[in-house]
This record gives sequence, C-alpha cells and structure tokens, in this order.
Amino acid sequence: MIEVQHLSKRYGPVTAVDDVSFRAESGEILGFLGPNGAGKTTTMRIITGYMPATEGKATVAGFDVFDQPIEAKRRTGYLPETPPLYPDMTVREYLTFVAKIKGVRKDVKGRVDAVMKRTWVADMGSRHCGKLSKGYKQRVGLAQALIHNPEVLVLDEPTAGLDPKQIIETRQLIRELAGTHTIVLSTHILPEVAQTCQKVVIINKGKIVAIDTPDALTERLHGAVTMYLQAQGPADDVQRALQSVAGVARVHLAEKRDEIGVFEVDSEHGVDVRRELAGAVVRGGWGLLELRPVRVSLEDIFLSLTTEEVEAEEPAAVAEAEGVAGA
Amino acid sequence: MRNILAIAQRELNAYFASPIAYVLIGFFALLFGYFFYVPLAFFEQQSMQAGMNPSQPMNINQMIVGPTLMNTTVIMLLVFPLITMRTYSEEKRSGTIELLLTSPITDLEIILGKFLGSMLLYMAMLAITLIHIGVLFIYGEPEWKPIVTGYLGLLMMGGCFLSLGLFISSLTRNQIVAAMATFGVFLLLWIINWISTFVGPTTQAVLAHLSITEHFDDFAKGIIDTKHVIYYLSFMAFGLFLTMKSVDSERWRG
Repeated sequence: MIEVQHLSKRYGPVTAVDDVSFRAESGEILGFLGPNGAGKTTTMRIITGYMPATEGKATVAGFDVFDQPIEAKRRTGYLPETPPLYPDMTVREYLTFVAKIKGVRKDVKGRVDAVMKRTWVADMGSRHCGKLSKGYKQRVGLAQALIHNPEVLVLDEPTAGLDPKQIIETRQLIRELAGTHTIVLSTHILPEVAQTCQKVVIINKGKIVAIDTPDALTERLHGAVTMYLQAQGPADDVQRALQSVAGVARVHLAEKRDEIGVFEVDSEHGVDVRRELAGAVVRGGWGLLELRPVRVSLEDIFLSLTTEEVEAEEPAAVAEAEGVAGA
Repeated sequence: MRNILAIAQRELNAYFASPIAYVLIGFFALLFGYFFYVPLAFFEQQSMQAGMNPSQPMNINQMIVGPTLMNTTVIMLLVFPLITMRTYSEEKRSGTIELLLTSPITDLEIILGKFLGSMLLYMAMLAITLIHIGVLFIYGEPEWKPIVTGYLGLLMMGGCFLSLGLFISSLTRNQIVAAMATFGVFLLLWIINWISTFVGPTTQAVLAHLSITEHFDDFAKGIIDTKHVIYYLSFMAFGLFLTMKSVDSERWRG
C-alpha cells in the first residue's frame, strides 16, 4: 500500500511537485503518466526516500518515509530511470551486494538465483554490468528492485530501452508481480498504462490532473462522442442539416475541398446519432462518403489534459494521429 | 555493521576490479623503496666510516626508519586524492547513489563503509612496505617499538586525509575537481605553519596545531602523545561528519 498526501517539492522558486495526493491499494498497479518534467521522477524519489518532500506525507506499507525511513525502505524496491549498476561488477556480484544492503540475511545466493531467473538474466551472471546491452541493464535493474521481495515496487519507466519482445515480457512480469506487490510505475508510453495498470494518475507541471481507471478515463472523454463525417455537397447546407439532427451537440466544419466537406460532429452523452446523420445527408440528396466514430484513446485524454489550450484545430490533428496509430 | 562491511567490500572490489588499486599500490611501493634506499645507502656509508673511526653509536631507527616514514607522508599527499576522488563523485555521476540512498541503510553506514574501504586499500599499500622493514630486522637490530608507533602515526594521518577526501568527493560529481580540491587542501594543511615565523605567538601556536605533519613527528620518534592521537581522531571524525552533512544537504537540494 502506498499513500501520498498533499506532497509538494520546491527547489528554490521552482515547484516540481505541487500538492499531489494519491493512493495505491495492496496488489494494485498504479500508472504514473505525464510529459517529461512533469514531476514523476521527483514524486517517485520522495516515495522511495531518496529525497525528502518540502511539504506533505508519504507512507509505504504503513511506514512514513520520513519518520521511519529504514522500515519503509526495507519494503520498497526501486528501479530509477537509469538502472543503478556498478559497471565493474558482474551481474551476480552486483545482485549479491544489493541483497546484502537491502537486508537479505538468509540464503542470499538462492535469492539472487531466483531473481535472475525471474528477470531472464540467469545466463548473464558472470558478465560485467558495464558490458550489458541496454535491455539487459534494464532487467538487472528490475532484478535489483526485486531482490529483497519488497511489498512495494517503484519503477521509473521500466520498459524504456527494451525491444518489443522484452517490453511484452516485462509487462507480463509486472502484471504477475501485481497480486503480491503494490506497484507504481511511470511511463510516457500510453498503451502501457492501458494494458498494465488498474489506476492512472496523470500529472502535469507538478499537479495531478486526473486519477481514475484507464477505462473510466476513456469513458469520461467519451462523454461527447465525436463522429467523423465526409459528405459531398454544399458545405453550409450540409452543416445546417446535420445541426438539426436530434442529439447533435455541435457540428464543426474541419475541412473543405471542392464539393467535399469534412465535419466533426459531437453528439450528446450516450446518444448514437450515426443512423440519423446518414439519413440527413441522404435526404438532402448529397453523397455520404465516410462516417465513423472518432475513438478517443488515452493519447487524446493525455493531450487534452496536459495541453494548455486545446485549439479548435487540435481534434483534427488528433483524429489523424489516431488514424495512423490505428493502422 | 554488516552493511558497513558490505559497502567496504564493494569499495575494495571497485579498486581492485580496475587498474586503480594496482597502479596506486605499485607506484607507492616504488617510491617507498626509493625513499627507503636513500637513507639506507647513507647509513651504510656512515657505518663504513664509523668502523674505521668509531665515535658514537649509530641508530637504525633514527637514521633509516624515521626519515623513510616521514618521506612516505609526501607520497600520501600525492596519492590520496586519487584514492578518494571517485568515492562519491562516481556514484553521483553514474546514478548508483540512488541505489545506496534508497536502501535500508543509514548515511553513516554508507560513509563508514566507504571510509573503511579506502582505509583497507591504504593498509594494503602499507603492508607492502613491511617487507623493507623486515629486511632491516634480518640484517640489523632496529627497535620495534618506534616502528610500530611510526606506522600507527601513518595510519592515523592517512585516516585524516581519507576522511577529508571523502568529504570533498561528496561535494562534486566531477572526479578531477574532487582530486584537485583534495590535493589543494592537503597541501595547505601540510605547509600551513610555514608562515609561523611572520605571525604572532598565539597564531603560531594555532597554526602548529593545525599542521597535519607537525603531529606526525612524535609518532616517527616513537612517542605516542595523546595530544596528537586526539588531534588525528577528531580530524577524522570531523571529516566524516562533514561528509554526512554534505550527503544530507544534497538530499534536500535534490
């Protein structure tokens, strides 16, 4: 269990983290999402006891990270952004050392073996950490975080630098660990959050902008479903006809070329207006070239929550990006 | 304690896994050998003359061991910044400091571990010099007690340098900066009493107390004076204390 209450971190005049509160229940995976410099790493460093907060409180497995740092750290595994490896040590030496300072007392060798197997580095035991590829470094970093079987895992971009196969394996591993561990992971890869996390915290400029499940977040933005509609005919007339359809909230002419108009139609919450839209176009005697719902992805949520001003042109760009991502 | 040993062992591994330890020990041994040979050769020449024209008894301790150990402190001045420069700087640069500071160990344990690790390397360097002393025992009859106090003095003086070097290394992530600053401070402590002839008697006394070599003289002569022992021990404690404060403030500043 991880609980963060009203956490703030200021470096002189700069506020890196501003009044952040969230909670990850036991066995849960919480995704920490935000653009670079949003304060993800700072928050994680506070949770792991690397640095103190200016204000607020963080509790790991029931222990306050400021008041009982040793107890809290004993129950926390941490993979920083760059895996903290000593290049001159072999993987086995390194993990043995970490096991010792993390307080593993019994059967250190057995523990090192088990963790190496778990993170697929069993055959790299005698390799020097400095000679490993980025992917293996990341895995040894993960092994290091797991070595004392902590209740809480804090992973700062655990899949950064891995190849697609390794990413899938690592996500699988994280999901497997979830039941017995509480996990906080940060990422800026959005599908990763959708695939692995039960809860998403979106943070921007040090402030939390949303906390919810990935599904609920998608749902929330789905409130107004957007349709992409292409019709051949006089744009103004078409727009008027579409506007008059019951359940339509807003029609926006996104693009006009020759006789073809591209519209974005926002419907009211929970109303499916596709049939009526098609009917309106056909009744007017115009050609209906394309009609499809613009599915809102986490990317859109992310962009709309973390972008200062969403311009009117933005949705079109997002829709395009969506098309590319879908293809 | 276990944590301190784990850190110390890792420090030692780091020295010996790279050429650092071998180069340091090798050149230390070379220079010590030279510093040993010069008074030895002189002693040999003197004893030949004394054999022909006996005047006063000659003392191996005063003529060989004392000067050699005094000269050894010069090697320390040059070599020690190289031992301590990487202790913290390297961890900061590579990010491994995050591992240490998020592990269930205290800052003091980390610092003592690093201090112990560098002390052990220093002891390995000194251990090699015992060969030369052994040679003296084979061919002569030196007093063993002044030799023991001399080595004790070397160890304590080395501890002071290492604790100070550790502190300076904790201030920067650049090893060159750490090495140069450490050397500068060492040298200054070394020669601080050079100006004693130009200052008042009070300042003169203070400077003499501050000078790190001044306190070594008695050890080399075979005297263990608590004044000097306390000076060295408090110097070490102060260096380690400063390191702790530096690491702590680094945490707050982020």
